[in-house]
Amino acid sequence: MKLTKRLLMTTAAAFAALGLAGPAVADKETEERQTAAAKEAVDTSKFAKEGPYTIGVSAGYLANSWVVFALQHIYWEASEHDEIEEVIVTDAAFNPTKQISDIEDLIRQDIDLLIYWPVDDAAIASVLERTVEAGIPTVQAGGGFTDNAGTVSNAYISQWRLGEMVARNLMKDLGGEGQIIAMLPIAGTTAAVDQLDALETVLEEYPDVELLSAEYGDWNRAKAKQITENLLQRFPQIDGVFSPAGQMSIGVAEAFEEAGRLEEVTMSPGDEYNGWLKWVADNGQGGAVTFPTRAGQEAVKIGLSILKGEEVTRGTAVESEYIAPEDIGEYVDQDAPDDWWSSELPEEFLPKQ
Amino acid sequence: MNALVPTRDGVRRFLSAYAIVAVLAAVFLLAVLISDAFLQPKYLFNVIRQIAPVGIAAVGVTFVMILGGVDLSIGAIISLSAVVSAVLMNGEAANLPMAIGVTCLVGMAAGAFNGIVLAFSRVSPFILTLATGIAILGITQIFSGGTARGIVSPGFREFFNYRIEGIVPVLSLAFLAAVLVGVLIQKRTLFGQYVFLTGSNRRAAILSGIPVRGVTIMAYTLSGLFGALGGLALLARSGVSSTMSGQGLEFQILAAIVLGGTTFEGGRGGVVGTLAGVLVLVIAFNIVNISGLPYHLQMVVMGLIIIAASAMYGQINARSQ
Amino acid sequence: MAVGTLRPRLGAGQSGIWLILAAGFGFALLFLPDFRTFENLANILRQSAVLGLIAIGQTFVILLGMIDLSVGMIAGLVVVLSCWLLDIYPALTLPVAAAMIMLGMAIGVVNGSLVRWLKLHPLILTFGMLSVLQGLIFTFTDRSVGRASDALQQLANGELFGVPLSAILLLLLVLLTQAILSRTHFGFHLLAAGGNPDSARKAGINAGGLQVTAFAIAGGFAAAGGLVLAGRLGTGYPLAGTGLELDSIVAVVLGGAALGGGRGSIVNTLAGVLALTLVSNLLNLFGVSAFVQMFAKGAIVVVAILANQPRRAAR
Repeated sequence: MKLTKRLLMTTAAAFAALGLAGPAVADKETEERQTAAAKEAVDTSKFAKEGPYTIGVSAGYLANSWVVFALQHIYWEASEHDEIEEVIVTDAAFNPTKQISDIEDLIRQDIDLLIYWPVDDAAIASVLERTVEAGIPTVQAGGGFTDNAGTVSNAYISQWRLGEMVARNLMKDLGGEGQIIAMLPIAGTTAAVDQLDALETVLEEYPDVELLSAEYGDWNRAKAKQITENLLQRFPQIDGVFSPAGQMSIGVAEAFEEAGRLEEVTMSPGDEYNGWLKWVADNGQGGAVTFPTRAGQEAVKIGLSILKGEEVTRGTAVESEYIAPEDIGEYVDQDAPDDWWSSELPEEFLPKQ
Repeated sequence: MNALVPTRDGVRRFLSAYAIVAVLAAVFLLAVLISDAFLQPKYLFNVIRQIAPVGIAAVGVTFVMILGGVDLSIGAIISLSAVVSAVLMNGEAANLPMAIGVTCLVGMAAGAFNGIVLAFSRVSPFILTLATGIAILGITQIFSGGTARGIVSPGFREFFNYRIEGIVPVLSLAFLAAVLVGVLIQKRTLFGQYVFLTGSNRRAAILSGIPVRGVTIMAYTLSGLFGALGGLALLARSGVSSTMSGQGLEFQILAAIVLGGTTFEGGRGGVVGTLAGVLVLVIAFNIVNISGLPYHLQMVVMGLIIIAASAMYGQINARSQ
Repeated sequence: MAVGTLRPRLGAGQSGIWLILAAGFGFALLFLPDFRTFENLANILRQSAVLGLIAIGQTFVILLGMIDLSVGMIAGLVVVLSCWLLDIYPALTLPVAAAMIMLGMAIGVVNGSLVRWLKLHPLILTFGMLSVLQGLIFTFTDRSVGRASDALQQLANGELFGVPLSAILLLLLVLLTQAILSRTHFGFHLLAAGGNPDSARKAGINAGGLQVTAFAIAGGFAAAGGLVLAGRLGTGYPLAGTGLELDSIVAVVLGGAALGGGRGSIVNTLAGVLALTLVSNLLNLFGVSAFVQMFAKGAIVVVAILANQPRRAAR
């Protein structure tokens, strides 16, 4: 009887809490805690072994250009080291269950190092632990800092810091007041959650800025455009757009342009997505806060250090940089496709054009 | 008896044929109640433009469904077309005719493959086109290497996004043109008649000498062609963004067609119904979006609207039988 | 009485899929040393469990000539809810599991009732239900929530003498449902109603009630699949169910069932599931690029269904 009552109360409380669902995963304190944790040293002695090495890469997904570039950075870095014999890549196609199977398959193929980016961190936590127990070090590439027993080290990009940089630059360009909309990636992903969090944290310092609506464009340019067209209809005045993902920013900007309202809006920095860089070059506003694809390269370097028994910390931040609109010329490539990323990859490692 | 008094049967048949128009009117009324934006021509044409890729492709798939089949590979064909055309254009205006031509051929080839396999075997179109869809998705990825290569020719997107009189985007006219072509094929060609006859009674069609296999191949090829055109429309609308821009569209297309009165059994329906179904769908999406509901409730409401519209249509139809 | 025309086809003669499966298996055993390990085979079985459970339920619906697109989201909803509940009450695995299965069946009853009373086409209705459920899942949470209890994880990942527990569960349920299908009145009526609805109606079989029951079964098994999936993932990932509905339909049809109804068997569906998992496993072992894998998967399904064609023209 008591149990039932507790169940009922918990359910009621939960549903009440749903209405107030607030940030649970990443806020400023979590961010600071993670930065501190990242600096801790890792005991690499148990992973040290002689070459040649086989690297396994478990890609959560390979169907977007960012991860393709990150993977190319992995290949590039691997080619620079003779002791790396082979790189085996699996693609989970955005399916966490498959990623679990993929990692199990990689373990059985006797890899020495696992580099991965997750579809969902929590889902693969236990299979990663099994990987570490089998003596294979694991390095997470390109996502947020992962603080798990199953992740030995990280080449991480803090989506929260990225979102914060984008938000602060937008505030600066807006002059600290106005009404804005937010365009976020796929709902539920770390990127979406952390970016929105960071925005809301920064907004606390700017009481004159109002967030009209946060929308999820799923990293899809056409969808972002469609949603923005509706937002333009709903809100007669939109002064600014928070959109850290360049490929969605293009869609948003086009919607404003076609509605004849581009003059009134300030676009936030996007990332170094080439199509966005072209837009910035043409329109002179926005800029970029990079989302570095060289995270793949960093991950390989960290992995090698672990295999050689060298000193390594729990996480190495691959820092985002801000590029002002006026400097965009150095980064944009007008001859390359839109779906391309500014990087330092040598010619032979670029994805095919 | 006065020959002009409508018979019960006649009224029922009228209702059945125009049920989807009633549904469309109801949904539109709901839309207007929620926001007066739907009364503005500029916004309405915007809405039509949004659904152009889905709508154009749906015209082709309608024929397949009247035949009693289904084409689940259409989303993949749209994606492939968008990527192939962008790569062929390669940023040069001179490449435009070639790019469009080759893309259409690619779409037709994919459709023809489906059609030939289905014409000469007894496999289920549902599974076959599902499988070819996955295979085509793979081909698209292999071809592009994962990044959406290709640069759109200058002028291509500008042309289709240009608004005549500041109100009517060319792309929405292109969609309506595709519908018109579809209606003409349906009502004025022998092929159109054959599709209906084969769909309602395949055995009788064979016995009366209709080249059923040829009709099947032609219907799926047509679907592939309109899919390619849909991919071009998608490219025009939103530029090159990803290798999977068409993914998931097949279900929207199917829903629109079935809402419009073309059923899975075949033998009935038509392109006009599909047009209405497409409009119902896009108005539903915009209703939930513009009403400011939280994102996830939007999905719930859209599902409910689809169920409700389908139920209403089912009731009207049931009563007319 | 027209009983003669009601004789259902239980998939006899549609065992082509087992031949294909055996061929693929044999090929792999001969040419892939990596394949032969016991671990790999255990992996294949373990990876088939979730889809296998969902496909069992889907078989019942397809036998009636209908289709259920909402099973993926039912599984997804169960993943999220069960992990959320078990995180708070980890000791209550059995009651939570029972509750989830009842939830799945309830959703199935809703599906079946709407199809029956509103005369909705199952494809449209379950597609709409898919959207509704997905929206509900995301209204509940937009990120992974909760944690599956140890018992559930053990079920999904554990082994008994090297054989995965989830596979044992799957096999038992396959045998049970196959027996229901071939040896009970219910099974007989189901196949009759799917194969020849007019004769069935004349013989007094209540097709409408069967519809609701079939959807309820599909919902229940989808929930069961969701429970194993929750154990496998360890956490309530909201998008966990995506795509499972299509895979389950492919598995059922690969197993020789007719989409028009009246022909098929659970055992053959199991073969379809194993075939799909086998293909993924082989492609991974071949180190084939993920994109080529996608193409190959589609191509293999095309070849398989061509080889497994119905001998009679579909209705």
